[in-house]
Amino acid sequence: MTAPAMTFHPQPEPGTPTPWAFPAPQRLTLANGLTVLHCHRPGQQLVAVEVLIDAPLAAEPAGLDGVATILARAFSEGTDTLTAEQFAGELERAGANMEAHADHPCIRAVLEVPASRLERGLTLLADALRSPALPADEIERLVANRLDEIVHEQANPARRAAKALYAELFPADDRLSRPRSGTAETVHGIDRSAVKAFYDAHVRPSTATLVIVGDLAGVELPELLESTLGRWTGDQAERSTVASVTADDRSRVIVVDRPGSVQTQLLIGRVGPDRHHPAWSAQILGTYCLGGTLTSRLDRVLREEKGYTYGVRAFAQPLRSNAEGTGQAMLAISGSVDTASTAAALADTWAILRTLAAEGLTDAEREEAVQFLVGVAPLKYETAGSVAATLADQVEQQLADDFQAEVYRQLAELDTAAATAAVVSAFPPDRLVTVLVGDASVIAEDVKALGIGEVTVIS
Amino acid sequence: MANPAPASTGGIAITEHRLANGLRVVLSEDHLTPVAAVCLWYDVGSRHEVKGRTGLAHLFEHLMFQGSANVSNNGHFELVQGAGGSLNGTTSFERTNYFETMPTHQLELALWLEADRMGSLLAALDEKSMENQRDVVKNERRQRYDNVPYGTAFEKLTALSYPDDHPYHHTPIGSMADLDAATLEDARAFFRTYYAPNNAVLSVVGDIDPEQTIAWVEKYFGTIPSHDGKQPPRDGSLPEVIGREVRELVEEEVPARALMSAYRLPHDGTREADAADLALTVLGSGESSRLYNRLVRRDRTAISAGFGMLRLSGAPSLGWLDVKAAGEATIAQIELAVDEELARFAAEGPTTEELERAQAQIEREWLDRLTTVAGRADELCRFAVLFGDPKLVNGAVARVLDITADEVRAVAAARLRPDNRAVLVYEPVAASTDEEEQAA
Repeated sequence: MTAPAMTFHPQPEPGTPTPWAFPAPQRLTLANGLTVLHCHRPGQQLVAVEVLIDAPLAAEPAGLDGVATILARAFSEGTDTLTAEQFAGELERAGANMEAHADHPCIRAVLEVPASRLERGLTLLADALRSPALPADEIERLVANRLDEIVHEQANPARRAAKALYAELFPADDRLSRPRSGTAETVHGIDRSAVKAFYDAHVRPSTATLVIVGDLAGVELPELLESTLGRWTGDQAERSTVASVTADDRSRVIVVDRPGSVQTQLLIGRVGPDRHHPAWSAQILGTYCLGGTLTSRLDRVLREEKGYTYGVRAFAQPLRSNAEGTGQAMLAISGSVDTASTAAALADTWAILRTLAAEGLTDAEREEAVQFLVGVAPLKYETAGSVAATLADQVEQQLADDFQAEVYRQLAELDTAAATAAVVSAFPPDRLVTVLVGDASVIAEDVKALGIGEVTVIS
Repeated sequence: MANPAPASTGGIAITEHRLANGLRVVLSEDHLTPVAAVCLWYDVGSRHEVKGRTGLAHLFEHLMFQGSANVSNNGHFELVQGAGGSLNGTTSFERTNYFETMPTHQLELALWLEADRMGSLLAALDEKSMENQRDVVKNERRQRYDNVPYGTAFEKLTALSYPDDHPYHHTPIGSMADLDAATLEDARAFFRTYYAPNNAVLSVVGDIDPEQTIAWVEKYFGTIPSHDGKQPPRDGSLPEVIGREVRELVEEEVPARALMSAYRLPHDGTREADAADLALTVLGSGESSRLYNRLVRRDRTAISAGFGMLRLSGAPSLGWLDVKAAGEATIAQIELAVDEELARFAAEGPTTEELERAQAQIEREWLDRLTTVAGRADELCRFAVLFGDPKLVNGAVARVLDITADEVRAVAAARLRPDNRAVLVYEPVAASTDEEEQAA
């Protein structure tokens, strides 16, 4: 280089950390039985609201998979006083966003609204939940749209991989084995009366919980909530029970044939500890070391050494949890690799898992992971929406309100052996179900030679 | 009825500085959360690339994470994450940005890291990094564009919208052939040309002490030499309207018919661009928009229908229509309805209520963007690099609220018309996958 060089300085030392703790919510109960968790976050002008409705997918009537999803979508299709178009217009006029979706534990309705228009936003949310119009013609349209959407999902490699893995892992009579939003066959059978019946059976304030987070300065919250969500009425009911989860994780390989694919989508998974398990924090830590970022073990080789992929991640995602601790989380490794590198990438993945089991994590990588996971918390929870989502997860999974705060305390104290034990137990090389969505004619033979399980090609 | 505005969409406290080597620095103090965002915009994007080297700016962005004189290969990621920070970089047509959000007490580390690679990247850049990141970027291209249905629509429409030799004719990801052709010497030359303190803006936002922060910036960046090797990008100006409809039919294995169009719109930073944004919002943003109501709710010819805006300052912006057909609906049916709605809107403009809704939506999007320190840092850099003044961020919402219904109508009449668009029509071809879908 011809230019004069810059002056280098030693890498700076950190200053003194500012203490930070995951925010503690407060609770109250409205006269209609609705449980409320609220949390004031100064400066957060976009207020986040989540309502958890006790309408789990397992409660869908036989043959009507997808009715919970259609109901969730129908919440924004008009009320007793507003048509679907008017409702959408009123929400947007408030600068608000509302969407609802159905997952295994419950239906969640999420509202985001500027603090200055909080009352209007809460009124619309309350109207949608307490007296949705559920108009027959809009339901018919939502059903038709859902059928079209299924065709789009089939074309998406990541969605297709997830569908195949769930079908492999879980018993056919467990709702977990089937797509959350239903299949073409079941969605065809959904009409207004089915949606209305599902609403009548499961949507009521006494079994629901509302989480509200944001700058609530000057807001008389109990009064505001009573005058909005408090108008939602319904009978008393017991909360639904959450069934335990079993899965068949005998090692095997499913190749979902997608001719002409330039990449193979990998999804390698099984089930394991959820947030109720004493090893959860250690599992978070160990899983991060395995595949949390591009300097984790998987990407260090698959991406940064070999260039097989744009990135592969390992993660734990709770599926269905209960206070008794019989729930489970999906534990998986996911990513995509160029078609020609499929077998080589799998061979490297198994080599990484075997080395991890044989040699364990190092103190240095455990330390770096802890620094990241704990240190990044104030940033991760900067917005009202991210705090609300985590509080809602805690409610949904029947955890204590201080659960996440406790995870951070535990993470800071874990030793390397605990993190190693948890991740090795989470990803045993001989108990993993591998789904590959890709061009079977190119990849199947090489994958058979790897010895990571019997290979079945499906289309 | 009154539509009370959100409390704080204006009023970010901003101070500006310039180092002797030309580095512009923008600081904004806010102590709500113990975090600080560092954002660095280099005034270089895919528009600066030359023929045969598309994708070089983005590939180069990857190389910026492969170490520098005092930072090991991947050390940038390790050090930032090990300090509890998050980081990344992105490349667009007009700029390349790099950002770290740190716990307050680790801010100095992020500044040290950014300075080290700005001043000494070439000390570490080697063939091994180049070959590895070339493969990573090619896999990024496969994953995001080539292996997903409609994945190359953006690339195709951009190519239709800007003429062959135009700097925005190609997208930042580049072509496989050009990615293969790029050499280590290309990367070195790119760094020497564009990565200089006088071609960058640094913003630091959040829980900071401004005096201390500027002292650190001076310490770490102050001795990096400036240079003037930069070539300005080729001129991106074009006539206001295309003058004819440009069309391409794509017959591919996609799940459904689709209509995608790009309309040539005013440059970002103008009052007309804000008016166009409002027009697109009324027509095609959210479930109360005209096109959603017409195509999805009433005609039921589409499962989704929306307009987006790609704001560009060095070339005409693009208004982006994306409609996925429902069931057996045809593109002809959909196009007829779209053209009716556009013509009606051009004649009548938005209703008072529609304008109010669109303004509330755009206001909320701003609130969302400015709610995090990282979002604010990025916007400050954007206004500084593209429009010369970071303080413009504080008037952004007010400028949108100031637009009248007639301005919205006028820009729609002038721009949202058939002779000012590129059209991409997807027709699915029957393939073996049809049977498979039944069986899966």
